[in-house]
Formats: sequence, structure tokens, C-alpha cells
Amino acid sequence: MSAEPLRRRRRGRLPFSPWHLVLVPVTLVFVVPLLWLLVSSFMSNAQINRFPPTIIPDSLHIEGYRYVVRNALFPRWFLNSAIVSLAVVVGNLIFGVLAGYAFARMRFRGSRLLLAVMLGTLIIPFQITMIPTFLIMKKLALIDTLGAVIVPSLVTPFAVFLFRQFFLNLPREIEEAAWIDGCSRLRTLWSVVVPMARPALSTVAVLTFLTTWNDLAWPLIAINNDHNYTLQLGLATFQGQHRTQWSAVMAGNLIAVVPVLVAFLAAQRTFIQSLTSSAVKG
Amino acid sequence: MRRLSEAGTAWAYVFPACLIILGLGILPMIWSFILSLQVSDLITPPEWIGFKNYEVISRDPHFRAAVGHTLVYTALFVPLVIAAGLGLALLLNRRIRLIGLYRTLVFVPFVVSATAQGVLFSFIFESHFGLANAVLRWFSIPPQGFFTDEHQALYLLVLIGLWSGVGFCVVVFLAALQDIQEELVEAAALDGAGRWATFRYVVWPALQPVTIFLLVWQTLQALQVFDLVFVTTRGGPLESTTVVVFFVWQQAFQQFNAGYAAAAAYVLAFVLLVLSIGVRFARRRDT
Amino acid sequence: MTTRSASPGPTRRAFLRQGLGLAAATGMGSLLAACGSDDDDNATTTEDGPVTITMWHGQEDQAKETIDKIVVDFQSKNPKIKVEASSGGVVADSMLQKITTALSAGSYPDIAYIFGSDIANVARSPKVANLQPYVTKPEMKWDDFYPAARDAVTVEGKVRGFPALVDNLCVAYNKKVFKAAGVPEPTAGWTWDQFIETARKLTDPGKGVFGTGWPADGGEDCVWRFYPMIWDLGGAIVDESGKKVGFDNDSGLKALQTIHQLGAEKLVYPDTKPGSETMYQIFNSGKMGMVATGPWQLPDFVDQKTDYGVVPLPSYSGNKVTIAGPDTWTVFDNGSGRVKGAVTFLQFLTESSQDVKWATQAGSLPLRQSTANSAEWKEHLQSTTGLDVFSEALGYAKIRPTIRTYPRLSQPLGQAIVKMLLNKGTPEGALREAAQAANDALATG
Repeated sequence: MSAEPLRRRRRGRLPFSPWHLVLVPVTLVFVVPLLWLLVSSFMSNAQINRFPPTIIPDSLHIEGYRYVVRNALFPRWFLNSAIVSLAVVVGNLIFGVLAGYAFARMRFRGSRLLLAVMLGTLIIPFQITMIPTFLIMKKLALIDTLGAVIVPSLVTPFAVFLFRQFFLNLPREIEEAAWIDGCSRLRTLWSVVVPMARPALSTVAVLTFLTTWNDLAWPLIAINNDHNYTLQLGLATFQGQHRTQWSAVMAGNLIAVVPVLVAFLAAQRTFIQSLTSSAVKG
Repeated sequence: MRRLSEAGTAWAYVFPACLIILGLGILPMIWSFILSLQVSDLITPPEWIGFKNYEVISRDPHFRAAVGHTLVYTALFVPLVIAAGLGLALLLNRRIRLIGLYRTLVFVPFVVSATAQGVLFSFIFESHFGLANAVLRWFSIPPQGFFTDEHQALYLLVLIGLWSGVGFCVVVFLAALQDIQEELVEAAALDGAGRWATFRYVVWPALQPVTIFLLVWQTLQALQVFDLVFVTTRGGPLESTTVVVFFVWQQAFQQFNAGYAAAAAYVLAFVLLVLSIGVRFARRRDT
Repeated sequence: MTTRSASPGPTRRAFLRQGLGLAAATGMGSLLAACGSDDDDNATTTEDGPVTITMWHGQEDQAKETIDKIVVDFQSKNPKIKVEASSGGVVADSMLQKITTALSAGSYPDIAYIFGSDIANVARSPKVANLQPYVTKPEMKWDDFYPAARDAVTVEGKVRGFPALVDNLCVAYNKKVFKAAGVPEPTAGWTWDQFIETARKLTDPGKGVFGTGWPADGGEDCVWRFYPMIWDLGGAIVDESGKKVGFDNDSGLKALQTIHQLGAEKLVYPDTKPGSETMYQIFNSGKMGMVATGPWQLPDFVDQKTDYGVVPLPSYSGNKVTIAGPDTWTVFDNGSGRVKGAVTFLQFLTESSQDVKWATQAGSLPLRQSTANSAEWKEHLQSTTGLDVFSEALGYAKIRPTIRTYPRLSQPLGQAIVKMLLNKGTPEGALREAAQAANDALATG
């Protein structure tokens, strides 16, 4: 059922799998904004502001990039976002795995209630909870530091819940074998379960990273000093009340997006299970 | 004996998550509830009025409209995004060249900021000069109002929400599909099961836990949609895309009516609670 | 067996708690060096000791640079007052949300850029400073500020901040579009009937050209254009009692009818995208003949190389009428030392010699009459087309009332105007609904 035989069985009409014909248009639909970002980042402000919008740049204008790069704080913002996102990912991977595993595999009084309450904290929308959260962060003296952006997301109900669901799916036999062999819970978790759950880890890592990377609303409230801006916050200041440096905004967004996509692409291998290697045909 | 130690270990494992999630989550919930019992603009000392906010909100036609819009959005968005996510995940779950690239690109909407998306879609769906109407004109379809038409705007938002939200489901489903053991699939094939049967009896049941996760998660997201509305329509035109969280934001930060906003948030929470209890009952009856 | 739980349990717990503490401390420690000073240092400053004040100016780009230069200038002349100016992380639009959060948490700057329509509410906070004792001092030259600017920072008779920016509404028109349609350019003193007639001649659906544009998102930019119309007809935003709207009569009706005519005949481009940018993009691309706008848009017209002209707003009576939307530097109370420092800085910032820099570089108008009469400003007027029209209009511009219920009044009115622009419903019905909701809002206080 793997892809190998399929290639040999092909009728020899197309030099590539027919699936590409489906995948290309589908993917294109999603890629449109990236293309538009790319194209408009090389336009001058004047051209971007033209109406109806033009798709092909008059010539390669790099004012947008120059504006971004000339901004002395841009690398700092990038670094801030990287620190925050990585810290949040690490926190969620460690503590989310622990909690998710406990919920999935261990029986303890009140586990269902606890999980429900954790999810329940998500019910009140951010627009309201941001004020008491701000208050708490202020009491912890974290306002206007990266800590204020890291700590509230260090573990999220999302990570806990998702890990729980993934762990529920894993075959118990391997774990129980290790358990019987005398491995402690922690060691079983670390050396047996976690390697099996690589797709889950990658998924939580990627999704948590991206949500944090793109977050604007909370850093906007929690951070004042422009040395502590995250990238999205910094880019938002390119948009003025009446005038916006659009080519800079587009260039900035591209610089923010491309490394993430490249990293994601490079990390594709971790999404593939090491033990089970089949592709399930749909 | 083992069970005792298990409980202890379990609590140790969940402790850090509890500390952050509950520590930083419970207090805001209590604070918000207290706020909903007050008349407050967050700037001057508040005034206690008990449940009056809830009384007024139950009679507020704007709020009722907001709830209606939110429910319509959710009812359309959730099943569609999960179905589309599953379909795309199955499509992307094969070993052909460039599959890594395809998977990455499907994810692009998730990576691009909400602001950039807002500008992009305002362009595309601009009713006089936008790309969408230009395409329709080519097919001799009359131009649509899109964001200027109060009957279309909400559905347009569902579409855009789908476009930007499906990548999330795809990634989660893809990861879950990897967990499905090859042996089971091969055994099914040996037993003579066709593709559909394999899907129905092997793949689909194995996807249950993540499907449940996605159902819960996307429902929460849909009921709380805000960013999309904020960057495209600001609740318009004519309040046709005012959803509950946008209503909350307006009341709290434009109308200086934060107590009322908190009450609105709690009504939404209450609806969610009722929904989830209802679902719990339904499932218990099945099992 | 119990020992098995006792040893891993607590150690793990302790380790995790340690790890969490470490993470928080690292986050804090590594960046405390870079973070700006905030609250909590007001206890130790005395009236004459060194003071550090924080300012969230909500500006970016050119305006930010101008402020930064003025800050440097100020600090060299006032070594005892250190000014930490930043945009606060927000651009003026999101400032209100941030300030509201800051006020409710007790952690706020000394100066913030607050819109004129918001100050009435923000000033209700006990944490907003009362500047009344300072403004009566002769060196402040308070009366030198334009009346609109002064009124905008006065809430219930008390001054709560300094004027930050003044603007007003005039009509910009695209000369090329007028020429192409063979329509004579508008002149001062024109009427709304003439405006509609001109829009009719300019609108060309075949070529996709609109006569004019109007923001249709129901926000403040949509609503404030309505007020000069009712003022001209003898109406008011709020009547003398302060308990009812002053446009629930012929003035409001006629104004809505005018807008309805624009919408029904499709002479107007209703800009539903928040931010009003699309409207100006269309104007600059030669697809719109004229649009009411403020002086802040002129740099954009220049950038886009649009051949434009500016005339005052049309009216019904032939009188000169327009609206100003001043913004404010609201001062917050972090202790008397810091309030004094903030006032000293703002006095410097709004002094004629700095004001003229702010007006010319940041695209504003003079806050003070003396600035408007200065040679530097007069020279600047020559450089930008149409700026003189705006500058002159400052003399007769009126402002919105600084009352706390204003936002609740503005919102239903915005919806009524949008209905007219999109040609839904009648002016009578829309006016009735809006007046009803606005009166309810005014009744609450």
C-alpha cells in the first residue's frame, strides 16, 4: 500500500503522480496571500495605494525592505518574538505532555472535572480576561517585559487537551510492556511514549509556535517600551492612524512569515511516524 | 497501592499545568463575573446592581442579534472546517514528491497575520473594483455587494474563516493519521475491504479522539470569533456581522460599558455550558 | 509501595515549581534592563527633585521622529526632567483600549494621546490630573490656543490635558476628474445642492467614477461629517438641557435626506472598510471627484502626485461651517512631582516654536493663533496646496461636546448614516431610530 508500487504501476502517461493535478490548484488557493505579500512588498507605496489594485510591480522597489531593515529595532523585535515563541513551545511541550499523559493514562479523582475546568477557563473571551490578566502580571512585575507575554501561555488548555487525545490513541501494550519490565512512569513516558507521539509533539509545537508568533492583541496591552515589542506589535506600528507604510508592512510580514514556513517545511520529517511508516490512502 | 501512587504521580504531572492555567484562569473568571454584576466603565469606581445587567441584556435586541449571528457562523463554520480539514488531510497523506511543500503551503493562511488577511480580503471582495466581482463579471454574474451587503457579509466571513482555519485541522488530522497502524490497514486490505470500508472501519474510529478535540476547539473558536470581524467589517454593514465577542468589545471599549460587556460574555459562557452538558448527556445515552 | 509515591512525587513537584519560578524570573530579569520605567517610582520624587515622566504618544513615522527631536531638545534645556516617550505599543486608534486597561490596573503613563471624543470618559477617572491651576498662569498663554483646541481638553469646566492636534473638515477635489467631466471647480460658499449637482455630473458608472465618497463603517469618521450639516441648519448635537439630542428635527432630517440622495443615486462611494483608506485610494486613482477630508490627508495626495485643490465644506445657508476634531495630551496623576514635570514638558511641546515644528512636520495645523501668524507657518502654507483653506477654517470650526455619553450617541447615528449611504430605509425612519437610541443613551447620564 506504499507509494512505491504505485509509481511502477503508472500507465506511463504522466511523468508524475496524478495527485499533483489536484494538489496544485488546491494549494494555490491557500497560497494566494503569500504571493500577494511577495508581490506587493516589491511595490512602491504609491503603487500599492492604486485603485484598482495592480498585481505586477512596475519595477522592483525595495523601499519597503529598506524601511524595515533600517528600523534599528526590527532585529530586536524578531528576536523577542523568537524568544517568546520558543519559550512557550518548550513550556507547552514539557508541561502539556505531563498533564496530557496524566489525563489520558492515569486514573485519579476529579480528573474529568479538572479537565473540564481547564477548558472552561477558555469560555470568557480575551477582551474581558485581558484586564485581570494584566492585573496579575502587574502584581508579578512582569508588565513591559517578555515575561508578561510568555507566562500566560506557558501551558495552555489546548496543549493539554490535544496531548490527552493523542495519548488516548496510542497502543497501551508497548507502555504496559515497559511498565512490567520495571520502568518507572516517568521513564516510560520519556523513552517509550514520547517517541511514539512525535507527530503529536510536532503538531503542538507548530501550532503553539504560530499562535504565539502571530499574537498581537495581548502584547499590545502588556508591552509599552519599543525595545520589548514582539514582531507583530512592531509591524503594527508601521500602520499609522492616517498613513501607512504599506510596502514596509508587506515586507515586514514577509520577513516574519518566510522563516517560519521554511522551518515548517524543514520539520516535515518529524511529522512522519518513525515506527509506522505507511500512508493511508483516502 | 499502585492506585494511590498513581493518584499522587498524576497530580504531580498536572500540577504545573494547573498552576498556570487555573492560576491565571480562575481569577479572571471570578473578576469578570463580579464585573458583570456592576455598572462599570473600568475608569471610575463601579456601582453594584446585582443581576440587572443580565435582565437588560435579555431584552436587548442588539445582543440577541449578535447571538444569532454567532450561532449562524458557528453552525456553518464548525462542520465545514472539520470536513474540509479531514478531506485535505487525507489528500495530503501520501508519499509523493513535494508533499512536504504542499503541506506547508496549505498552512500559509495560518501563518499570515490577521491584519494582512484583512487587507487582502477587503481588496478581493471590494464591491466595485475587487477581484471577486471581476471574476463574476467574466462569468456574466451580476456584481455582488459582499462586504457592503448585510445579507452576504456574514457568509463571506464564514468563507474567509474556513480558508484561514482549515490548515489547523489539516495539521491535527495529519498527525493523527500517522498514528494509525499499518498492520490494521493491511489486515483490512487482506480481508478484502475497499477504500471506503477501510476508512469507515479502521481510519475513522481511530480519528475519534482528535475529531472530538477539533469539534470542541473549533466550536470554541467560532463562538469567540473576533479578529476576522475586527479587521474586515467592524461588525457591519448595519451590524449584520456583529458577533458576541465584538459586541463585548464594543460595549467595554467604545461605549465604556464594561459591566454590561462582562454580562454578555457570561451569557455566552452559559450557553456554552448548557451546550456541553447537553452533549455529555447525548453521549452518555449512546454508550 | 507508598515510598514509591513519596520520593518521586514531592521532588518532581518541587523541581517543577522551581522550573516555573526560574522561567518567570528569567523572563523578568533578562529584560528589566531594557524596559522603560513605569509606575511605582512616584513615591520618592519630590517637587524639585529629578523626575522621569512617561509618555505614550501613539505616533509613528514622521510624527514620532518630530516628537523624539523635541524631547531631546527639551531635556537639554530641562535636565531635571527625563522624558520617556514611546508610542506605548499602540497607534492612536488602539490607545483607548490600552489606557482603559492601564487605568483599571493602576499602571498608567503620565501623558497619553487621547482622542477628543474619548477624553470626556477618560477624564472621569480620579487618576486624570486636573490642570486648572496650571492653565491660569500667564506664561501658559492659554488663550492663545484656538477655542476649538481649548474646548476639546476641558471637561466639565476643568482642563485635563493639553491640545495635541487640531484638524477640520474641508473638501478636497481631484482637478483631473473635474476636467475630464467638464465640470467647473467648486468655490467657497457653495451649497449642498450645488454639491449634489456636481457629484451627479462627476459620477460615471460606465467608467467607474464616483462623485464623492463617505466612510460607511459607522465609526467616528462616518459620523463627524454629519455635524456641520446640522449646525448649519440650526441644530445641535445635544440640546441645551443636555438630555436630548438636538438634531431630532428638520436639521437632522434635511441632512439625512442629502446623504440619502447621494446614496440612492449612487453618487457616493460608501467605504465599508474600517480606516477610510480605500476611499482615498480611489480618489487618488482618479475614480472619485471630491471628498471631504482633513489636513492629515494632504501629504498622501502629494505622495500620490494627485492634482488636487481644497475648498471649504458646502453649506445650506452659505455660511462658513465646519467641524474640528482635536486630540489631546491627557495628563495622568502619578504624583504631583510628575504632574508638574508633565505640564512643563507639554508647555514646551505646545509652545509656538515647537508647535510650528509639529504642525509642519507631523502634518497637523497650528494649535495656537500665534503659531498660525508666524513666518515659518506662513511659509509652510505656500508649500502645500490647500493647507491655507484648512488653516483659515480653524477660525470658525466647532467641536463635538465633551460629554461622557457621546460614544453611545454616536453609534446609532453612525448606523443611520450608513443606512442612507447604502440606500436602505428612509431618512425619517433612520432619524427616528437614531434619535431614540441616542436619547436613551443621554438619559443614562
